[in-house]
Amino acid sequence: MQKSLEKVMTLADFDRESMLEMFSYEMAQLVEQLEQTIIQAEAGYAIEQINEIFRIMHTIKGAAAMMLFENIATSAHAIEDLFYFLREENPTDVDYSTLTDFVLEGMDFIKGELDKIEQGLPNNGDGTETNLKINAYLKQLKGIGSEPADSGGGSSSTPGFGESGDVSAGNYARYKAVVFFDIGCEMENIRAYTMLHNLGSQITRIIHTPENIIDESSIELIRANGFNFECDSKLSYDELHAQLMETIFLRELSLEVVRPAQPAAAQPTPAASPAPAPVESGVARYEAFIRFEENAEMENVRAYAFIHNLEDYSFDIVHIPTDIVSETSIEDIRSHGFRVEFSSDKSYDQIYSILKNTIYLRELSLSVVDTGVSAEPSGRIATAAYDDSVVVKATDVAAVSEPEPEPIPVSKPEPAQAPEPATTTYDQPAAAKNPADMEAKMDTALMSVGAVDQPAKKAATQSVISVSVSKLDQLLNLMGELVIAESMVTQNKDLENLELESFYKEALQLRKIISDVQDNVMSMRMIQLSATFFKMHRIVRDMCKQLNKDVELKIIGEETEVDKNIIEHIADPLMHIIRNSIDHGIELPENRAGKGKPRKGTVTLEAKNSGGDVLIIVSDDGAGLNREKIIAKARQNGLLRKHDSEYTDKEAYQFIFLPGFSTNENVTSYSGRGVGMDVVSTNLEIVGGSVIVDSIPGEGSKFTLKIPLTLAIIDGMIVKLGDAKYTIPIISIQQSFKAKQENIFTDPSGNEMIMIRGEVYNLIRLYEFFNVESATTNIEDGIIIMIENGEQTICILVDELIGQQPIVVKTLPKYFKKIRGISTCTLLGNGDISLIIDPVGFFDK
Amino acid sequence: MSDKLQETPTAAPIALAYQTNIEDTTKDKFLTFIIDDEEYGVEIAKIREIISICKITKVPESPDYVEGIINLRGDIVPVINVRRRFSKPWKEYDALTCIVVIEYNTYKIGLIVDSVNEVAYIQEENILPPPSSKINYYNQFIRNIGRVEEDVKLLLDLDRLLAN
Repeated sequence: MQKSLEKVMTLADFDRESMLEMFSYEMAQLVEQLEQTIIQAEAGYAIEQINEIFRIMHTIKGAAAMMLFENIATSAHAIEDLFYFLREENPTDVDYSTLTDFVLEGMDFIKGELDKIEQGLPNNGDGTETNLKINAYLKQLKGIGSEPADSGGGSSSTPGFGESGDVSAGNYARYKAVVFFDIGCEMENIRAYTMLHNLGSQITRIIHTPENIIDESSIELIRANGFNFECDSKLSYDELHAQLMETIFLRELSLEVVRPAQPAAAQPTPAASPAPAPVESGVARYEAFIRFEENAEMENVRAYAFIHNLEDYSFDIVHIPTDIVSETSIEDIRSHGFRVEFSSDKSYDQIYSILKNTIYLRELSLSVVDTGVSAEPSGRIATAAYDDSVVVKATDVAAVSEPEPEPIPVSKPEPAQAPEPATTTYDQPAAAKNPADMEAKMDTALMSVGAVDQPAKKAATQSVISVSVSKLDQLLNLMGELVIAESMVTQNKDLENLELESFYKEALQLRKIISDVQDNVMSMRMIQLSATFFKMHRIVRDMCKQLNKDVELKIIGEETEVDKNIIEHIADPLMHIIRNSIDHGIELPENRAGKGKPRKGTVTLEAKNSGGDVLIIVSDDGAGLNREKIIAKARQNGLLRKHDSEYTDKEAYQFIFLPGFSTNENVTSYSGRGVGMDVVSTNLEIVGGSVIVDSIPGEGSKFTLKIPLTLAIIDGMIVKLGDAKYTIPIISIQQSFKAKQENIFTDPSGNEMIMIRGEVYNLIRLYEFFNVESATTNIEDGIIIMIENGEQTICILVDELIGQQPIVVKTLPKYFKKIRGISTCTLLGNGDISLIIDPVGFFDK
Repeated sequence: MSDKLQETPTAAPIALAYQTNIEDTTKDKFLTFIIDDEEYGVEIAKIREIISICKITKVPESPDYVEGIINLRGDIVPVINVRRRFSKPWKEYDALTCIVVIEYNTYKIGLIVDSVNEVAYIQEENILPPPSSKINYYNQFIRNIGRVEEDVKLLLDLDRLLAN
């Protein structure tokens, strides 16, 4: 028992992990897509964009509810409601800017929560305030839109609740309820809000005391007097009571009928379906036919969840396909839909409205087969989940970890087998009884989904799969080992001086294949810059709003690809540079007009390939950098090492990348602390990139970020220096040649220079620079390598060139501090270590 | 749900027992090595392996006691010469010279020592504080003095020894 228990638990943990990973991956993509859409749409929401946002919010809501992240689901729901209204009513005079603010605020909340989930923190954020704002805004829209205001009760009906406009009294009963929450459950006002929210459109004309449950002062009142509310509802007393009992942390509930429902005069019936005579009492047999949305995925699990929900108020359930446990049913459900027959004592309308709430529902048709069937559940169906929904929900969960045979709620052929995780699922999050239950359900839920998810993916024809980065990293490491092993074999000492013509021929073929594999592995890690680039729209937008500037962000070459590891390090630098450009560079519209520039500033973000590097250029048409200010500030900070005038513009501009350097006297929310640009240089250093600043006063500035395409495997030139072998990245080598003594000059301070084809370059004797003994000191014996970094060029003297080969870059142990001229190292074919020369080190003296 | 509750107490003792096991086998044990005539000790829990001297690649701009880096089956490991760290004169490597690889602050580091002696069992009550006066330079690297019968082992303070 114990053993099997452990096994199950680890399985659950594993699946939770992978499921969460999948969830956050998908969410991240959706959120990104959403953000782009919103920003693009701000100028005016086109119907496609509204649809798109609605769809994304709907998906987020569904997925979050599935994972039981209720706060995310609720927020998404609020935004979805808003866009549902926009989509359906198409109101005209909407202030899109305000709308965008609201949506972005809600989205930021969701994003924050997703971050928390990703970091393994509890997602305990409270989006109620934002949701209320959004709901209030929706209400306001409805006021100005064509929709008649929904509230009749007047005084304090909470915005957003019961927003269905169909208050035609009639079959509505008026209820009065007093709710007490568990002592110590905290945030009673939010719980009250959530409770009402969960009831959604099932209740209308709500009047509650305390009136203001947004304000925290209401907490005490709710604690002392309970949360009192009156509402209208179509639900029967029992139904409403049952729903309210589902409230988390509920301690006490008293519900009474103020005014019973009157016989329906004109009952609003669901539009599309044929409306048979509603069954007022007794038990009727229904047949429901549903289809899920096309991209819903995991249709069988959804169908199962559907059945599971149905079990709460119906019995004798028969469904086609009968086996929804195996993933083969997915295709079936997709192509033929899902057909269910069941008996229930609920009315047609009630059932219809409940079923309608199924997540990802595309099509629902419900019909009455027989109006009078036996109320006795037949033995054929499992009743475990039927009789006592509260207890059973807990046992449902236990079913996964308990290997006892459990009645499986679907007609599965072999009930004696240990239930497959996939069979257990959960209903709407609101149904969770208490945190422990919820947590337990969470495990189950994640497990079930995880177990079915993969086959479902397999079943769909997909041309793209997502692979975890750690697997790619592992592959890359192995690739590195392979490259080294290959050269260890083919350059083996034992082979020296042997005539091995055919061996080398085959070895050459091997090398070719390995290098192809390597290219492939590397290309798998390449990601387009577009996502990173498009994120900047948001920053530009927010800053413009705050700073009252008008800036357009132009994006060029976003399809350029960069290694995944590198992309992670350039998002922040880009953001800081753009902030800098907008805050310091672009002038206010009126100032721009005065200078004869267009009122609207432009920031251009451009990416392009250049040899082994990618150049990312951020340019603006603002005021440009102020050299005097920078030099003055540098003097003030004691950073100047030579006379002002000796600094070239480029050197002067480099000061802005020093930590704590800011020429802004006033600290704003965007700049002035001197932190931002410091991030640029540190992050770029990590990936072995560099940044160059150009600026023309009055015309704008240009930041050029040079980053390597990839980090891990590069082509290197191995050079000999004394006993040691150093490696120089091929991309920084311009040429190598033998020098003649007469071309060498020495300046008074002993710096050597070399003249090549009429141009003079600084010469560094590498053995001096690195303090290597036993190296060639005679300049004519050694060899000169010309190295370029950015726009600077320098010549270095080494003993001899050994050869060119692909090398796997390894970081130096943390024990070493920064070493000038050395950044990383590599292992050579014979297992020796070779230090990799970092040309940047030669230039920053 | 109830299973989940039961799960926690059963899992915990196992983990605990496992932990104490490791501690048990390494507790009070020190690897001792020799430099000149002195015997030094390092907690055995920190020791990863002992290898004979191998090719060391020098790294520029590092202190003289840092001999460089070695390739330990693909891992790049810095090695420091303990003699030189103690400001003792350089001694040629010989057959007995060893690199003691220890794990320190999540990374590995090698200590070049004249020779490795033994694994000594020094009980807590036999570990004494060093003399308070720090006369010798290398005294600062000694955290405690361990007594084993008549012998004295100088227990190294790795934090100071490896401070860069």
